[in-house]
Amino acid sequence: MQLFWLSLGFGFVTASVLAIAAVGLSLQFGITNYVNFAYGDFMALGGFFAYVLNNEVFHLNIWIALVLGALAMGALAVIINRLILGPFARRFRSGHYVLIVTFGLSLILLNVEYSIWGAQVRFFNMPIAQAKSIGPMLLTKNQLIVMAIAVVLMIAVHTMLKVTRLGKCMRAMSDDTTLAMTSGIDTNRITTITWFLSGSLAGVAGTVLGISEGNLTPASGELFLFVIFAAVIVGGVGSIYGAMAGAVLIGLATEISAAFINPSYKLDIAFVILILALLTRPSGLFSRPGTT
Amino acid sequence: MTVGGVLDRTEIAALRCDGITKAFQGVHAVNGAAFDVPEGQITALIGPNGAGKTTVVNILSGAMRCDSGREFLGETEVTNWPSYRIARLGLLRTFQLSRELGGLTVLENLLTAPAHQEGESLANVFFRPGRVRRQEREHAERALDVLDIYGLYQHRDVRARELSGGQKKLLEIARAVMAEPKILLLDEPMAGVNPALIELIGAYIVDLRESGVTVLMIEHNLNVVEQICDYVVVLAEGRTLATGRLNELRQNTAVVKAYLGEVIDAGAAH
Amino acid sequence: MTYYVFTLVFFLFDYWILAMGLNIQYGETGILNFAYIGFVAIGAYFTGVFSLHSAKGTGQFYILGLGLPFPLNLLLGGIAAMSLALLVALITLRRLRTDYLAIVLISLSLVLYDFCNNYVGLFNGADGLYNVPEPFAKPFGLNVNSFIPFFACVAAVVSLLMWFAMSRVMRSPMGRTFRAVRDDEVVAAALGKNVFGVKLKSMLIGSFYAGVGGGLLIQFGGSFNPTAWLPGETFVVFAVLLVGGVGSNLGMFVGALLVETLLIHLPAFLPEIPGHPGLIEYFDSALVGIVLMVMLWFRPQGVAPERLRRTPSFGVVPQDSDNSGAIGSLSSPAALELGDAP
Repeated sequence: MQLFWLSLGFGFVTASVLAIAAVGLSLQFGITNYVNFAYGDFMALGGFFAYVLNNEVFHLNIWIALVLGALAMGALAVIINRLILGPFARRFRSGHYVLIVTFGLSLILLNVEYSIWGAQVRFFNMPIAQAKSIGPMLLTKNQLIVMAIAVVLMIAVHTMLKVTRLGKCMRAMSDDTTLAMTSGIDTNRITTITWFLSGSLAGVAGTVLGISEGNLTPASGELFLFVIFAAVIVGGVGSIYGAMAGAVLIGLATEISAAFINPSYKLDIAFVILILALLTRPSGLFSRPGTT
Repeated sequence: MTVGGVLDRTEIAALRCDGITKAFQGVHAVNGAAFDVPEGQITALIGPNGAGKTTVVNILSGAMRCDSGREFLGETEVTNWPSYRIARLGLLRTFQLSRELGGLTVLENLLTAPAHQEGESLANVFFRPGRVRRQEREHAERALDVLDIYGLYQHRDVRARELSGGQKKLLEIARAVMAEPKILLLDEPMAGVNPALIELIGAYIVDLRESGVTVLMIEHNLNVVEQICDYVVVLAEGRTLATGRLNELRQNTAVVKAYLGEVIDAGAAH
Repeated sequence: MTYYVFTLVFFLFDYWILAMGLNIQYGETGILNFAYIGFVAIGAYFTGVFSLHSAKGTGQFYILGLGLPFPLNLLLGGIAAMSLALLVALITLRRLRTDYLAIVLISLSLVLYDFCNNYVGLFNGADGLYNVPEPFAKPFGLNVNSFIPFFACVAAVVSLLMWFAMSRVMRSPMGRTFRAVRDDEVVAAALGKNVFGVKLKSMLIGSFYAGVGGGLLIQFGGSFNPTAWLPGETFVVFAVLLVGGVGSNLGMFVGALLVETLLIHLPAFLPEIPGHPGLIEYFDSALVGIVLMVMLWFRPQGVAPERLRRTPSFGVVPQDSDNSGAIGSLSSPAALELGDAP
């Protein structure tokens, strides 16, 4: 039973990382209507930006580096959309060339990272944290901060979507882009902002992943990508809240399962859950109609 | 004149549906459609916009599932069968916005149509090439004849996506005809087409009836309906309002109110 | 040096086979199989464990180990890949549209990779299989050096056989039905095609090619481990297909030549840059992605695009070629030209 509570604690940490990542992916997918297969590499890159600021250039505190790294990744995402993804998406509307292009982008980003930083494992420069007991769970200060960041970001995203004009425009575009355009919404501006948010969230997620796993390599994001996909699909594609719910479900399930099976396979459990979800409830927990 | 699905005793129903309902997110697109389509005749499916006509055709052809109701092809119940099984029983359909198989040539579009092709089995492709070749040749002969009738012979090797709008409409019908359907559902075959072509397509449809095909067509143009259709089904707000011959329906006040109002006045002015 | 050339030749023919398999799935039927490399790996691994003898005492851990000869082990490798494809297709093909299918497939690829990396008892984990016996080496008395040109020729023969088979399929009504499903599966269903069945056939045949391609890889190199098949490798096969020209017979070969041989293997010639190990390799992999994007933008039809494949008319001319069918003058081209809005 002790093991269960411990796993539950870790589960919340994983769920936090997943939630940040999944929401970033969902936001962008909702607006652009195609999946960014390079998202894992956005995460890793964001983590490396933070790493550089934390370890090599200014030796900033990890949390500040996290924020700056995320913003840098957001900016880069906007540039990539402007130069590459946007033009391809506009030119090849039907057709899955955009997906192939994002797949190619993934390869390019991964190898650029390898070229710059090599394949060796990197560690963030942060004080070693001691585990504290939170009820029956055992968590370090850093893990708690990670969870807090996730909660704050979820609330921020929720507020943005429900209350702000930007959020309303995003929801409109997500429902029906053409209608949104004819209603006077500046779809280009919204798309740019969405990419910025998506890239920034990816950056946060990548850094936080590195903190939670204890290390960072260029491939870290890619290897985690399928877990994010699982969270998004199980929660229901196209729904932000579905992504959050899926993240919690998958995060908890993978960690709790590690108590029973060989921990090397705990992430693979996410895939098993994905398949089960496909077989039993293919539209996901919260999907919006018309998205499957 | 009848309401609901009962025909004269002398007519056989090639296609029957009964109590069809379909809702999209709480909104009922179809709410009790029921009618018979008499065999060997051209039946028009008319009604104001939003009456649920295309949805009914989608359901009847198997492209969509209905929430409740039943459908019969002759004696066989085909309720909620997937579209490919319904097609194999001889019910083919065309689409309102023509959907050509763009990457294939015009000839290939037609050659795709026949069901049960020997060459679709891997074993036959490798072990019985002679049989496959023979059947391909038969199909090609027939396809070229059909293309000729529809005036598309000279475009046979052109990729379908390069055809003009009118040509794509003709291809749509030619392709369905190639499959030798027993019943053909046409979704607004005259929509967006210039007047000369309307007459042409109308003539093709009459030709189909002469060769024994049962036709159900969604049509807004009541002149066309008057000229070529034997029987009419009126749909409004998702349910069958009335069925019968057009001149009978003109005297049905409910129908007139829902749909035919303006045309009656124009007719009176003749 | 000549042996290096023959190695390039081998990879050319091997990736030609891989391109054929992906062409059947993606080019002909429109299935975006982002897990393609996983099927290649299964083919390689199973060919390996069918060729190797029992694992006891070798220091490796793996299943089976039946010591079967070539080409039986190769065929079984292909069948193993097909079996995986069957399982995957049954679970995913019916329920998912293309982009979600791509997500699930790439996830499958990653999970498969993860699993083979971790579960040592399966295919020797991260070390992978090695010491796989070279086919025909004993009977023909081949040594390490003469094996390479020999097996390059074997690969060429296999690829020509498989090319011939694929051509037959592409030209047949079955190929036409694949393309119909690719172009518009709703229409294909409305014409009586069982779309799921068609896609399933396409997945199975394409996976067989993937498995054979993988099996040849392990037979050539004598070893195979997870580093050979990170999911990014699927992208290389897509690049081969798209750079060369999707669906084009010549295109697949040209693509294999350009991408696999020139882009990937030739740079092994170049000396390592001191202080930056592996830099050339990284740059090279990134270059594949860049080349593909450039090609898609400036010449999406590929280097050697498909010339219009005509279904043969068999020299048949329609009966009433004077256009005087039942409709008479109305079907003359002039009537069609009037006001036809393109």
